[in-house]
Amino acid sequence: MDDYVIEMLHITKTFPGIRANDDVTLQLKRGEIHALLGENGAGKSTLMSVLFGLYQPDSGEIRKDGKTVHIKDPNDANALHIGMVHQHFKLVDVFSVLDNIILGAETTKYGLLKKDEARRKVMELSQRYGLMVDPDALVEDISVGMQQRVEILKMLYRDNDILILDEPTAVLTPQEIDELMEIMRGFAREGKSILFITHKLNEIMAVSDRCSVLRKGKYIGTVETKDTTKEELSRMMVGRDVSFTVDKAPCKPGDTVLSVQGLTVPSKLHSNNAVKGVSFDVHAGEIVCLAGIEGNGQSDLVLALTGLEKASAGKIEFCGKDITHSPIRKRALAGMSHIPEDRHKHGLVLDYSLENNMSLQRYFEPEFESLGFIKQKKVHSYAEKLISEYDVRSAEGPYTIARAMSGGNQQKAIVGRELDRRTKLLVAVQPTRGLDVGAIESIHKEIIAARDAGTAVLLMSLELEEVMSLSDRILVMYEGEIVGEFDPQKVTVQELGLYMAGAARQDISAASDAAARGGIANA
Amino acid sequence: MIALALKFTLLYGMVLMLVALGGMFSERSGIINIALEGIMVIGALIGVIITRELQGYAGFVQVSVSVLCAGLAGLAYAFLLAFASINLKADQTIGGTALNILATAIAMVIAKRVNSVGGKLSDSARLKYSYDAFVYKIFGVTVNVFLFIGIALLIISYIVLYKTKLGLRLRACGEHPQAANSVGVNVLGMRYTGVLISGFLGGIGGFAYILPSIDTWDFKNGIAGMGFLALAVMIFGQWHPIKIFLAAMFFSIFKSLANIADSVSFLAKLRWPKEIYNMMPFIASIVVLTLTSGKSRAPKAEGIPYEKGQR
Amino acid sequence: MLNKRRFIQGLFTLVSAIICVLIGLALGFIILVVFSWSSYSSKGVPYTVGQVFSTAWEQGFKRILLGGFYNLGWKIPTRSLLLRSEICRIAPLLMCGLSVGFAFKTGLFNIGAAGQYTLGAYGALMCALILKLPWWACLLASVLFGAVWGAIPGFFKAYFNINEVITSIMFNWIGLYGVNTLMYGNGKSVMYNANESKVWKLVNKNASAIIPDMKGDGSTLFNKVFTNPSTIAVFIAIAVAIVLYVVLNKTVFGYELKACGYSKTAAKYAGINEKRNIILAMAIAGALAGLGAGLFYLTGTEQWNPQENTALPAMGFDGISVALLASSNPIGTIFSAIFKAHIATGGPKMEKTLFPSEIADVISGTIIYLCAFMLLFKNKLAARVFRRSRKPEGEIKK
Repeated sequence: MDDYVIEMLHITKTFPGIRANDDVTLQLKRGEIHALLGENGAGKSTLMSVLFGLYQPDSGEIRKDGKTVHIKDPNDANALHIGMVHQHFKLVDVFSVLDNIILGAETTKYGLLKKDEARRKVMELSQRYGLMVDPDALVEDISVGMQQRVEILKMLYRDNDILILDEPTAVLTPQEIDELMEIMRGFAREGKSILFITHKLNEIMAVSDRCSVLRKGKYIGTVETKDTTKEELSRMMVGRDVSFTVDKAPCKPGDTVLSVQGLTVPSKLHSNNAVKGVSFDVHAGEIVCLAGIEGNGQSDLVLALTGLEKASAGKIEFCGKDITHSPIRKRALAGMSHIPEDRHKHGLVLDYSLENNMSLQRYFEPEFESLGFIKQKKVHSYAEKLISEYDVRSAEGPYTIARAMSGGNQQKAIVGRELDRRTKLLVAVQPTRGLDVGAIESIHKEIIAARDAGTAVLLMSLELEEVMSLSDRILVMYEGEIVGEFDPQKVTVQELGLYMAGAARQDISAASDAAARGGIANA
Repeated sequence: MIALALKFTLLYGMVLMLVALGGMFSERSGIINIALEGIMVIGALIGVIITRELQGYAGFVQVSVSVLCAGLAGLAYAFLLAFASINLKADQTIGGTALNILATAIAMVIAKRVNSVGGKLSDSARLKYSYDAFVYKIFGVTVNVFLFIGIALLIISYIVLYKTKLGLRLRACGEHPQAANSVGVNVLGMRYTGVLISGFLGGIGGFAYILPSIDTWDFKNGIAGMGFLALAVMIFGQWHPIKIFLAAMFFSIFKSLANIADSVSFLAKLRWPKEIYNMMPFIASIVVLTLTSGKSRAPKAEGIPYEKGQR
Repeated sequence: MLNKRRFIQGLFTLVSAIICVLIGLALGFIILVVFSWSSYSSKGVPYTVGQVFSTAWEQGFKRILLGGFYNLGWKIPTRSLLLRSEICRIAPLLMCGLSVGFAFKTGLFNIGAAGQYTLGAYGALMCALILKLPWWACLLASVLFGAVWGAIPGFFKAYFNINEVITSIMFNWIGLYGVNTLMYGNGKSVMYNANESKVWKLVNKNASAIIPDMKGDGSTLFNKVFTNPSTIAVFIAIAVAIVLYVVLNKTVFGYELKACGYSKTAAKYAGINEKRNIILAMAIAGALAGLGAGLFYLTGTEQWNPQENTALPAMGFDGISVALLASSNPIGTIFSAIFKAHIATGGPKMEKTLFPSEIADVISGTIIYLCAFMLLFKNKLAARVFRRSRKPEGEIKK
């Protein structure tokens, strides 16, 4: 009989209107690395939250070492030595690393915290597993990679031996990913069991022993990694064959649409500049991609381009006009569209109906306004047109409140609205984040269609696969600077990783030459 | 004159500090407590009623029992805020405002009842009391017992917030409740703790405001905006106990000007109406808030109801 | 579909408001019974439960419910001053309610209505007593003064990101002390009547500043009811409510204001000048509250007392309950203002030796407290009803 340390049997969990887990079974062996594969929204995080005690299942049972257990909250999970690193780190920004690690597992003497003892234990663990951290640094001041190490130390500090890692590689460079995998293998050798949630097939093939697949809340199956292929896994995940490449015609760059010169943007988090004197051009009919690890200034650069933040130096030229200090409305009217990074914060007025959101950039145009009054009928028919063109699905059509829509449909609504404006420049930030394969494919098609129609596209993405398949030119940002320019046909993910991690950089003045020579100049 | 200035500065300073510390505990746990004004009114009312009942008992008994009752009354009233904003996820500002309005009405109803003679209700909400047991003279300066209570509570507040398990968890709930919950901290429990502590401190603060300086109080006036000033003190003090103490002292200088204006010769010569002095702490708070607005470090999660299972 | 959704949501709003009112009234009645009982028990004579309840009802609760109809029974009102003064109260309550509600719709909590009301009163009375202007000019002044006092916290919010609640509260007190100083002027102000220790009556100083009433020849019921202090003020207030409703729901300006209210960041993204809108919204809210003061003090029914007014005018805070009860809907606010004016008129008519009139305030305070979370229940309930009719989406909501 197999030595199962954790068994989740026939778990069902429904949320209002959604069956997130439908009769899902997952069995974890002692000392194995077990991948849990599924698309966004397949129910992976819900299943892990059930195991971790954040949700209670409607039915089904959980066994630890063969005995039925009831996990009502994270304390119960902790008592069973189950630990979890969440996709979005659960760290308190203004606390020190040490405080974050001991939170919830504090030891006290006469009611006062015993921090010295805790510090010794943390440092010991940190040395033993090669997880270097500064215990006194504030979390808001440390890198994402170190934050992840803090999260892992949190589990080790609690003597957890069942470790759940939810999408741990999303924020790391390829090199950091390799390091993480080595650490995971080390844990497995010690007899710890690892559940590793991901939607990246390469990583599963590289590190896991077995893989379980979920699709739309249902359990599809479990396979031995050594007996399977990427193609089989992706079929299990999506339910059909998926092509990994995006079909597109060769790029025919036209006139310069956007020209950025020496742009500097101050940071909101620290006294340094987030963007430091960046220069580049984007031409009509090409997709330029900003690649880099999260927090290296790409977001700030985009906010300054679109007018949401102020630049402190440098110049932005759009279609030959200086727009460095223009208000947002003026940029939009000149033909700049913006698919924002955060669709809830910027992209939608969540409490407005879908129809009011569809006209968010145009409600003041004569088509929709007369004498200060809004022509609601026109707004309505315009929304209906966009909804059918971009296949936006919702319960009540144009009347649906945006908040009640699924993330994918919210995103499609934004994409539709931003592309239907005879736009000259599309600034798209992570346009497919959190979407399923079908929605990703359709949004990619729309972006390529816009580019073929002569729109200049500036795409910012953290997903290297997306960067490689969509872009005509790649700019890598590191610590607020452009450190390399590449032709996606002539560069590998590993090379990009070196630049993203700051381990290599091109001479910026020779950047375009380097791109011509295949982008390996200083690699 | 200096003795008088010091008396009022310390008097108001302790009140503002106590109430601002209360607000700090609540906001550090993630709940905006705009109901401090109302909590002060209730604490003052119950404290005064108990003091009246305890006339004739030893001074120590009078002080300890009435202060404790004022605190507990504030705590009980704060429970209404906790219930509405934590369990029922009401808008914290609106809930707090409702409690402020309600407090004055309740205080008047009860004060009139207390004033009734032979089953006939009085038409006045003015309560008389004696503060003898609460006031001492040390080196020529009149100080009241709240100076000592205040300093003790300041030290305890600091230790609780920064040196104990409770403090660490409470602060985590105000900054990132999801993170706290993920390591097994009971977020709702911590928020209750924060709000109830703020009620206790606010209740004592309300009592400390009306008792030692004057022997009657008309509850028609509520507590004259002191609770709101304490909120400004809390913000100016950056949600930190020691800074709150300093901020309270700063504000109390402005507040005490109205009381000493007549006896300070150069101020008396100006013959400014009392209203100008009354206005000063409020103007000062606007100026101070404007100056400190850039570096405000409010707890990140304050004002946002916590829903379990939200990512 | 739109109509159905709107209708059901409106219905839930109405029902939840009525539930809040009923619970508030029930609590008020319980307090009355307690007071009645304690008064009987302290007399030391035998009494029955029936007597306790009947006193609480006859001498107390019934009078609250009757409001301005108190000394009329349920008969047709003829020349009741009480009824006319109840109508006179509706206008300021409605305006303060609109002020708070309008700010809510744009995402701001205008707790400063009390201060704006105070400034509005000063503007109106100053123009009436010092500049001797006619009533409509005085009203304009009250609008202007209120708007300025509202715009200031808006300015601090927009440019320094200071919470408008804190600044509004501070400006309430600054406004109160400032206005009292100006009106009293150490007893030497032109506006101050030392004999009555109040501001001068308009009748004595400038009768043209009194808002016209509809006395006419006094023959019809309408004429009788709308005789001073009940004036055309209430019609002005209702007209403003209707205009606000149209502005908020039908115009580009309203679309932008509400967008700012729902999401400041998304509004900014869409190129809406959110800073300008915050200041504008607060100025309008202030103007509404200021107008409320004008509509009240220019009827001449009451005079400002700069020496006794150590507490902020309750009207501003009553505006919060009026707005909340109506879910900030301008049309709903008309009805909640009428309700509030009604019980506020009834409260002081209770037997003073038995029941404190503030029980009426306890009732309305309770109502706001309940409203603070009842609306959320309503939304959840409505969401549940709509979910049933929802089509499958193919994707899982994140």
